[in-house]
Amino acid sequence: MSAQRRIGEPILVVEDVSLSFGGVRALANVSFDVREHEIRAIIGPNGAGKSSMLNVINGVYHPQTGTVTYRGVKRHRVHPHEAARQGIARTFQNIALFKGMTVLDNIMTGRNLKTRTSFLEQAIWIGRARREELEQRRKVEEVIDFLEIQHVRKTPVGRLPYGLQKRVELARALAAEPDLLLLDEPMAGMNIEEKQDMCRFVLSVNEEYGTTIVLIEHDMGVVMDLSDRVVVLDYGKLLADGTPDAVRANQAVIDAYLGVKH
Amino acid sequence: MQFFLEVLIGGLLSGVMYSLVALGFVLIFKASGVFNFAQGALVFLAALTTVGLMERGAPGWIAGLIAAILLGMAVLAVRKGRGAALGGRDWRKAGMFAAIAVGTILLIHKPLPFWGAVAVTLVFMVGVGVATERVVLRPLVNQPPISLFMATIGLTFFLEGLAQAMWGANVRGLDIGIPDEPIQWVMDRWGVLVSSFDLAGAGIAAVLVASLAVFFNKTRIGRALRAVADDHQAALAVGIPLKQIWAIVWAAAGFVALVAGLLWGARNGVQFALTFVALKALPVLILGGFESIAGAIVGGLIIGASEKLAEVYIGPMVGGGIESWFAYVVALLFLLVRPEGLFGEKHIDRV
Amino acid sequence: MADGALDTFPRLLMHHAAVRPGRPAIREKDLGIWQTWTWAEVAEEVRAIAHGLAAAGFKRGDHLAIIGANRPQLYFAITAAQALGGIPVPLYEDAVAAEMVFVFQNAEIRFVIVEDQEQVDKVLEILPQAPLLEHIYYDDPRGLRDYAQSQLASLERLKEIGREFGKAHPGFLDAEIAKGAATDTAAMHYTSGTTGYPKGVVLTHRNLIETGRGAAEMEGLGEKEEVLAYLPIAWIGQNIFSYTQWLACGFCVNCPESGETVTTDMREIGPTYYFAPPRVLEALLTQVTIRMEDAGWLKRKMFQYFMGVARRVGGRILDGKPVPLGDRILYALGDLLVYGPLRNALGMSRVRVAYTAGEAIGPDLFSFYRSLGINLKQLYGSTETSVFVCIQPNGQIKPDTVGPPAPGVELKITEEGEIVVRSPGLFREYYKNPEATAEAKTNDGWFHTGDAGYFDPDGHLKIIDRAKDVGRLADGTLFAPKYLENKLKFFPFIKEAVAFGHQRDKVCAFINIDMEAVGNWAERRGLPYSGYQDLAAKPETYELVRECVEKVNADLAADPKLANSQIHRFVILHKELDADDEELTRTRKVRRRFIGEKYKVLVDALYGGKRDCFIETPVRFEDGRAGTVSGNLRIEDAKTFPAVGQRAA
Repeated sequence: MSAQRRIGEPILVVEDVSLSFGGVRALANVSFDVREHEIRAIIGPNGAGKSSMLNVINGVYHPQTGTVTYRGVKRHRVHPHEAARQGIARTFQNIALFKGMTVLDNIMTGRNLKTRTSFLEQAIWIGRARREELEQRRKVEEVIDFLEIQHVRKTPVGRLPYGLQKRVELARALAAEPDLLLLDEPMAGMNIEEKQDMCRFVLSVNEEYGTTIVLIEHDMGVVMDLSDRVVVLDYGKLLADGTPDAVRANQAVIDAYLGVKH
Repeated sequence: MQFFLEVLIGGLLSGVMYSLVALGFVLIFKASGVFNFAQGALVFLAALTTVGLMERGAPGWIAGLIAAILLGMAVLAVRKGRGAALGGRDWRKAGMFAAIAVGTILLIHKPLPFWGAVAVTLVFMVGVGVATERVVLRPLVNQPPISLFMATIGLTFFLEGLAQAMWGANVRGLDIGIPDEPIQWVMDRWGVLVSSFDLAGAGIAAVLVASLAVFFNKTRIGRALRAVADDHQAALAVGIPLKQIWAIVWAAAGFVALVAGLLWGARNGVQFALTFVALKALPVLILGGFESIAGAIVGGLIIGASEKLAEVYIGPMVGGGIESWFAYVVALLFLLVRPEGLFGEKHIDRV
Repeated sequence: MADGALDTFPRLLMHHAAVRPGRPAIREKDLGIWQTWTWAEVAEEVRAIAHGLAAAGFKRGDHLAIIGANRPQLYFAITAAQALGGIPVPLYEDAVAAEMVFVFQNAEIRFVIVEDQEQVDKVLEILPQAPLLEHIYYDDPRGLRDYAQSQLASLERLKEIGREFGKAHPGFLDAEIAKGAATDTAAMHYTSGTTGYPKGVVLTHRNLIETGRGAAEMEGLGEKEEVLAYLPIAWIGQNIFSYTQWLACGFCVNCPESGETVTTDMREIGPTYYFAPPRVLEALLTQVTIRMEDAGWLKRKMFQYFMGVARRVGGRILDGKPVPLGDRILYALGDLLVYGPLRNALGMSRVRVAYTAGEAIGPDLFSFYRSLGINLKQLYGSTETSVFVCIQPNGQIKPDTVGPPAPGVELKITEEGEIVVRSPGLFREYYKNPEATAEAKTNDGWFHTGDAGYFDPDGHLKIIDRAKDVGRLADGTLFAPKYLENKLKFFPFIKEAVAFGHQRDKVCAFINIDMEAVGNWAERRGLPYSGYQDLAAKPETYELVRECVEKVNADLAADPKLANSQIHRFVILHKELDADDEELTRTRKVRRRFIGEKYKVLVDALYGGKRDCFIETPVRFEDGRAGTVSGNLRIEDAKTFPAVGQRAA
C-alpha cells in the first residue's frame, strides 16, 4: 500500500494499437501511457473506442497491431484471468455482479486470485483453507468498511438500487487489491448525490491504496475534477492527450466533443 | 397407527434415496443450467462398474484404452509444460496421469475386494464426469439449453451401452455389507418395523448431503460455483476458472452417482432398471426446485412418503399398483400451485 | 466523603476494573466483527487517554469537546476527562460548523476529541472563531494523513504519549481521581432553546449517578444487561442509558457498526435494556407492516389474526392481570408463531425494560409493542433533571400518562398548571448564564419544567402541553390545544390539527387529512377524487374524520379535567398546512396563532354556527409561484359525551 499519492513511472504503455472487428475499425494506431498512482481518464463520444481500449488493456480483445506493455513486459495475447492475476481489476459498464448472491459473497469472489490453497485443499483440507478464508474475509471487510456498505453486507445484490450495485462492483474489484483499476463508466445512470459519493470513493481509493486508475466517463465535470491526465478518442483515433486543462483548451477536442452538444 | 408409522418411515427412508439421485441433477443444473438426462445412466454405470470390478477385474480392452488415453494426456501435459511459465505443475499432472494409467493396466482381470472396487470406481466416475464436461458439453458452450439437453440424452445411450459392453447385461447382486433386516430394538421398543439397510442408506445420504451443502455454502469453490451459476460472464471477469469449476461439478455428480448406484444396486440388484430410478428423481425435482439442495431432500422425502402411503391406503381402492405413477401425479398437481418448486428461486429481474 | 466511595465516574470505572476485570464492558462492531473491551481493558484505555491529555496540559476544570458517533474511544475520552477533573462536553455529530462555534466559545474549549475526518474538517473550519482551541485528536485516521495542521494528532498518538507519561508519573492518575468530588461537574450538555443561544446544562457526578442508580434499582438492572448505544452522545438520554448507568451498573454497551446497520446490529446483540423515541418505534412498525404486506397469504392472515389476539389480551398478560385460559392458550400459540419471530426480527427478544420518551406516543403504537410482550414504558424528564422525573412502574402502564414520580423525585403542580421538580438529579446551573438559571430554578431548588400537566387519580402524571400554550375555556376549565391535536393526529387519517378554545365557550378544530392514508382508503372503497381539495371535501371523508373526532371526544369525556375540551365543531381545510406558507414551523409544529388570524373567517364561521363558509387563501407553490386556493368549506358538528361521573351537560 503506497503511503502517498506520488505519480511515478509509466506502469502501462499502449503503443500504436489498432483493433478492428470484421471491417470496422474500433481503434486506429492509438498510443498513450498510464503512470503509476495516477487517475487517467479516457473520454470521447459514443463509439469512439473507449470500451474497446479498456478491453484491450485487460485482455478481452487482442489488438491486430501494436503492443501493450505492462510493468515493463510486452504482452502477447493475454487473457482476462491472466490480466487479473497480474493485478488488473475492472468494473463494467453494465454491472456484471452475481445478482442472486449476497454483497459479501460477491466481494469474496474478488479474492479468488488471492487464494493460495488449491481447489482440492479447499475441498478437503478444511483447517488451512478455513484459516485462509477468515483472512480473506478480513480483507473483504476492510473494503466493505472503506466503501461504506456495511448495512447491505448480507443483502442479495439484485435487490440493491443501481447506485449501490455500482459501489459493490467497485468493492469486488478492490478486493483483488489491484495495482491497476479499470472503471468503465463508474457513474453512468447515477443521480448527482450518488455521483458525488462515487467520486469521493474513486479519489480515496487512489489516495489510500495508491491504486492506478483508468476510467471511462461521460460526465465531463467528473472527468475534469478527478483525473490527472485525459486521453481523448474519436472514431478510434487519438485526438488529444494531456492534463484536463490542456485538453479543455485543445481546439480539435472542442470541435469534436466538448463544444458540440451531443 | 403402528402400521401407518411403519409405512411412513419406510417411505421417508426410500425418499432419502430418491433425494440422492436428484442431488446429482441439482448439482449440474445449479452450476451450468443443464438438465443432465444422463444422471441415471451414471448411476447405472457406477453400480455396474463396482460389481464388475469385484467379480472379475477390469476388462482388458477398456483398461488398455483408458491407459492409452491417459498416457497421451501425460505426454501432452509435459509438452505444454515446456512452453508455459509455470512448468512444474504440469510435470506433476503428467505424473498423475501416468500413475493412473499404470494402475489401470494392473487392474486387468484382477477381481477386487469391495472397498478397492469402490475406490477404483470413484476414480473412474470422476474421470467420466470430467471427460463428459470436456468432450460433450464444453464444445456446446453458449448453445441453447435444448441442445445441451439433447446432448445429455445422447450421452445417456452411450453410457448405458458402454456399461453393458464393459460388463455385460446380466442382473447381478451387490452386497455392500449392510444387512437388510428389521432393527430389533426399534421393534421391541415401539413395535415398528424399520429396515437397517434403509436406515443406513438414509444415514449415508444425509452425510453426503450435509457435506455438499457445506461445500456449496462455506467454501470458496462453493462460492465460485454459485457465481458461475449466477452469471458466466461476470464469473470470467473476476478470474473464476469456469472450466475447472465445471469439471469439479461433473466429478461431484459422478461421485454422487456412485453412492446412489451402490445403495440402489444393493437394494434392487444391479441391472438396467437402475436407469429408471433417475426418472423417479424428476418429480422430486419438480417438488423441490431444480436449483436447491434442500429442495432435493425435502422433495425426496415427500415423494417417498406419499407414494408408499398412497400405495397402502389408496391403492386397494383402485386395484393397487399406484406406487409406480403416484409420484408423477403429485408432481403435476404441484406444478399447478408452485411451478418454481418448494425451494426454487423466483427469478425477479430488476431493470 | 469517605475514601473509596463510588460517587464519581472514574471511581466507578476503577471499581469495575477491580471487581469484574474480565467481563465485557463495551463492544463495537468493526470490520464485521464485534470487538470487545473488558472492564480492565477499558480502564487501561482511559488511563492512556487521561495521561495523554494531562501531558498535553489538560487541567482540572477544563472542558473537553467530544464530537462523533457512538465509538468506544469517545466514551473512554469522557471518563478520561472526568478522571482529570475536567468536564466532557459532547456535541451533536450532525451539527454544522456554525452551530459549534457558540459552544466552543461559551465553554472555552481548548481540547477536542473527534471521530473522523468529517468532524476534523468541521472543527478546522471554525478554528478562526475558536482561538482558544489548541488540540484536536481524532479516532479514525482515514483520509487525514496529509493534514498538516499543528493542532491535529491522532488519538492513537495521544495514547502513546499517555502511556509514556504514565510510566514516568506512577500514581498520578489515581491521585487525580482521589481529588475528585461528587459535587464536581461531571458533564455539560447543551440544550437548544426555542429562542436564543443554547444553554450549557451543568450536571454533577452526584446528579447523574444518584439519578441513574435510582432508576436502575427500581428496574433491577445489573451487570448482565446489554445495551445498544445508537442515539447521539450529545443527548442527555444517551449519557444516562449508555454512560451513567453503564458505570453505575457495570453492564455492557454495544456500539453499532454505522447508523445504517443499527437494525441488524440490534438483532445480533439482543439488548435487554433499550430506549427508543417514538419516531424510531414508528419507523420499525412501518417496516413490519411493509414486510407483512409483501408476505404470502397464509403468513399475512396469521399475522392479522394473532395481532388481534395480542391487541385484546397481550397488554393485560404483560401487566400480570387476569386473562381467561382460552385467550392465554391462543396468546401462547401466537407467541410461538408470530410474536416471538417478530420480537426476534425487531431485535427485542431479550428486552426486559424498554423506554420511550421525548414526545407523546400514539396509544396504538405504544400498545402494539406491549401487546407483543415487550415491556415498553414511558418516562418523563429533561436534561436539567438528569432525565428521570417519572417512570411507569411495571404492571401499571397507561398509554396516556408517564407514571408516578421516580425514586427521590418531588413533583408539584403550580397554580398555573406548570410542573415543577425537585430531585437529586437537578442541574446546578446553566453555564455562565445566571439569569436563565434564576428563571428556571427557584432558590429552594424547584425547577420549572415549562410543561403543563396534572396527576390522575392513581397519582400518575399526565403531560398535556407546554405550559405557555395552555389556555382556559370561558368557564375557566383547562384547555390544552396540543394535547387535543396530538390525540387527533394519532389517527393515521389525520395529518395535522389545530384546536381553538382559549377564552371561548367550546372547542373547535381545523383538520388536515393525511393524503396518503385517506387516498388509500378512498381507493379501496372505489371513491374517485381529483386531488387533495376534492378528497377533503367528500362527505365520506367528513364521515371518516367525524368518527375520529368523536372517538377523541369519548376519551376526553372520561377525564374530568378535560371533559369540557371536547371538540364540538370541525372543518377539514381545503389545503395542507405548509411551512412555505408560514403555517408550520420548519420542524412541522403548527403556528396556532398565525393560523387563527389567517383563517379568521373560518374560525368565526365555526363559532358562529354556520354550516359552510367560503374562503380564498393565498398559497406558495413548490416552484415558488404564488397563487390562491379557494373553496366553500363544510363545517360539521361532532357528537360530544357527558363527562363521566358528572351530570350530562
